[in-house]
Amino acid sequence: MSQDIATIRVTRYRPEKDAKPFFQEYKVPYRHDMVVLDALNYIKAEIDGSLTYRWSCRMGVCGSCGANIDGEPKLTCASFLHDFKGRTITVEPMTNFPVIKDLVVDMEDFMEKLVKIKPWIIREKETPPEQGEYKQSAQELERYSQFSSCINCMLCYAACPIYGLNEKFLGPAATALAYRYIEDSRDQGKDVRFPVVHEMEGVWECTLVGECSVVCPKGVDPMLAIQKTKILGATNAIKSLLMPRGGH
Amino acid sequence: MEDNKRYPELRRRLSPGWWTANRHYTMYMVREWTSLFVALYSLIFIYGLSLWAMGSRADFLSFLKNPAIVGFSLIALVFTMYHAATWFYLLGAIAPVKIGRSRTKPWQALVLNLILLVIISYLAIWLLVLR
Amino acid sequence: MKAETHKVARLHAMLWGIFSLGGMIAAFLLPVLIYMTAIAYPYSLWPFNGARDPSFLVTGHLLGALFIFVTIAGSLYHGIFRFQSALTEVGLLKYRRALEAVGYFIIFVGIIALAYYLVTWYLNGTIT
Repeated sequence: MSQDIATIRVTRYRPEKDAKPFFQEYKVPYRHDMVVLDALNYIKAEIDGSLTYRWSCRMGVCGSCGANIDGEPKLTCASFLHDFKGRTITVEPMTNFPVIKDLVVDMEDFMEKLVKIKPWIIREKETPPEQGEYKQSAQELERYSQFSSCINCMLCYAACPIYGLNEKFLGPAATALAYRYIEDSRDQGKDVRFPVVHEMEGVWECTLVGECSVVCPKGVDPMLAIQKTKILGATNAIKSLLMPRGGH
Repeated sequence: MEDNKRYPELRRRLSPGWWTANRHYTMYMVREWTSLFVALYSLIFIYGLSLWAMGSRADFLSFLKNPAIVGFSLIALVFTMYHAATWFYLLGAIAPVKIGRSRTKPWQALVLNLILLVIISYLAIWLLVLR
Repeated sequence: MKAETHKVARLHAMLWGIFSLGGMIAAFLLPVLIYMTAIAYPYSLWPFNGARDPSFLVTGHLLGALFIFVTIAGSLYHGIFRFQSALTEVGLLKYRRALEAVGYFIIFVGIIALAYYLVTWYLNGTIT
């Protein structure tokens, strides 16, 4: 009885052994309901325990398993083998990030940017719990809720050529999260966040390639967030020109 | 944390040909390069006006009828229309309008603005040439 | 240093705003201008199938001169701004400052020349 086989080509890079990365091919039994992560786990368990990659929830909510699959940034847990042409699938580390080993990339740059935009509610004065909750209407929630879906998977950075060309670019996810807090009616931290998103390597680097929103697995649409932040920045700049002592 | 930098990380940079990797990137580059024709047409137009300013109106008019200028302008028109279409589509993507519970789609903004372009063009001709 | 980059970023925000406006202008006003000068006039089509020619845009009415100024200045600004950015994306990122300088210089010279011609014509009665 012949079994259906898929061939997985994976980038290997072991810095202590290899000067350059190379592809290694593994044959994996193919089932229709397999995702790429299943194939990687099979390889690691049955064929080659040294294969190194990140994963966690295996259901598309933790953001750990990003990789370039047949050239496109995707979550390995959300990519069915049957979605790709043929039975050979190439898995590479996410573009634009330095590689630590095999498919594991260095996330430090994104982590710094995430901290820089201060992803928490900032209040001028915290009111004590006895005074009750900060109330928010359904309309107010809708202004930012899609941008709060970000799982920090960084596929958008892998897709963004501007980030690939200029590592200083703040990037899609960080800007979308900054915008999520700027638009949150409970947040009073515009003065803190605006300088970060409106500096030269903030939103102004973006030229609307739009690939970030195409690859986002959660429908965050970071391109939209960046554009709205640009408009906020431009209107802010004009306001400060016309009302030097007023403004926001 | 410094310990695991003992071995060099693999740093990869995008090559100048990155935009050939997939169709989305290539269409993006084409879209951006329409700007070259928009800029060139504007410069050529200003040059044409300078012929009038330094010479006569007839110089400007024969410049407009020069086959090379007509040829370039037609190409510029094609790219300008491509700019307009992609611009309208982007407007739809970055400024969706809420109608009831649903939001407008980018292709709707494209169609609407193309119609607006025809109306504005007709108005321009009527106001500036025919009156 | 931070305050300085903030001012530069604020300037850039305004330059981007003008670039956006230029994009609207290039999309809505440039096509008809090119049609008038490169199709209607050379091939004697409407509206230049009679006595009038594109110079009437300038001499016929102040509005026509304004239309030309807004359309050409806006399109020039938008085109140069975007082309300079496109060049940085095909491997010329390290020449960005030089590209910006050349770009803004061309924009400046172009718009000054255009304004100069139109204002001179307005003052000497060529524009009615």
